Amino acid sequence: MRIPDIEPTLTDTQVLEFCNQGYLMLEAVVPDEINSRVTEFIRENPYPSDDGGDFEDDKLLKEDWFVENVILNPHAAGAVRSLLGKNAALPTWMYNHQSQTPKPAQRWHRDGCSLFGSEVNHLQVFYYPQDTPVELGPTEVLPGSHFLFNLGKYMGHYGNISWSEYTAAPAGSIFVTVYSIWHRRSSCSAHGVRNMLKYLYWRMEPPQRDWIIEPDFDLDDLNDLENASYGDGAVRPAQEQLRNWHDVAEMFFWLSGKMEDFPAFLRTESWPMGHPPRKRPKDFHTFPGKR
Amino acid sequence: MNNTQRQRIEDCIEEFSQGKLTEEKLRQVLEDLSETGKKCQDLLYLQTSNTSLESSVHGMSIVEDGEIFAGPSDPNDWPYKTLLQAIRDGWRVIQFPNMALIMDESKTYGLGCEFILERLR
Repeated sequence: MRIPDIEPTLTDTQVLEFCNQGYLMLEAVVPDEINSRVTEFIRENPYPSDDGGDFEDDKLLKEDWFVENVILNPHAAGAVRSLLGKNAALPTWMYNHQSQTPKPAQRWHRDGCSLFGSEVNHLQVFYYPQDTPVELGPTEVLPGSHFLFNLGKYMGHYGNISWSEYTAAPAGSIFVTVYSIWHRRSSCSAHGVRNMLKYLYWRMEPPQRDWIIEPDFDLDDLNDLENASYGDGAVRPAQEQLRNWHDVAEMFFWLSGKMEDFPAFLRTESWPMGHPPRKRPKDFHTFPGKR
Repeated sequence: MNNTQRQRIEDCIEEFSQGKLTEEKLRQVLEDLSETGKKCQDLLYLQTSNTSLESSVHGMSIVEDGEIFAGPSDPNDWPYKTLLQAIRDGWRVIQFPNMALIMDESKTYGLGCEFILERLR
């Protein structure tokens, strides 16, 4: 199944923010009656595994009311349409990561088949059908970690990280992520059922800047990203100074289908692109023989 | 001597001062301390912004008394804000960030600079 011909809902600024953070939270976008129905459906159709089980099932995906209100939810599908373009393929499978009892945090990981780079060819989406406060162990994500190269097997010793964020959110919240973002179930201190449905949408068309264009949007004006990269208190402390600026812009250009214009934007073919980015002299790095 | 061992001795002193300490109790403590006296390696992983010993810690986990702990969830409550603070508290660095593995300046590897420290108790 493909996404119907709907309008994109994200603006240039929101797409850039998605590139920067690696995820986008859409709070309480699914109606309460649907959240209740999903919860009841899961209760009546128990999966083969119990608490903490990771299991795949597509029963919900065969329910028209679920597809209409969750998979094709106007806010979520509009965001998917913005990032993956027209004709994106709908989820073909679904996992319910259920948790019921207090437990320590999961290990940090990125999911299998993650690929480091600027391409966004599928989106990993999470849906909470119930209120999911911090006590219930919401997914913890590491903003910007889609730009941190690592292998899942080398992340097992990581503990708490200063700039991680909890996706604690009210019932009906959906968050859309770059597939390779680092994440984990946070520690859970309460008894109670946390269902978290997880699924993927797939790109079926070449990327292009086919979302809400802001007339005043200027990608050259990345001052906030640049300023956030300075000093010991940098927002992305693991990265080289200005590397995040570069990576965010590269992903935006890729999503826009304009990678051929990226070197002109940088005024160089590769990293490093010259510092400071906003004050490079005209024609910097354009002499013959420049690698 | 760790805190548990110290507390057992303090308990004996307290009972001695009260005239309640017995040979049986002393032998029990001796046996227990012989068991718990095996040295266990504590490990501390700290991820920092750069290789300076005064660089801010932005990630941590700890293995203490054989138990793994990710640290307090609020970074303000972490025991060490810099590597130097950990060293001053008795931790010994056993691995510096391994620059030999950083093969490509266009990639950021993992959480940046990672130090591994140990403490034997």
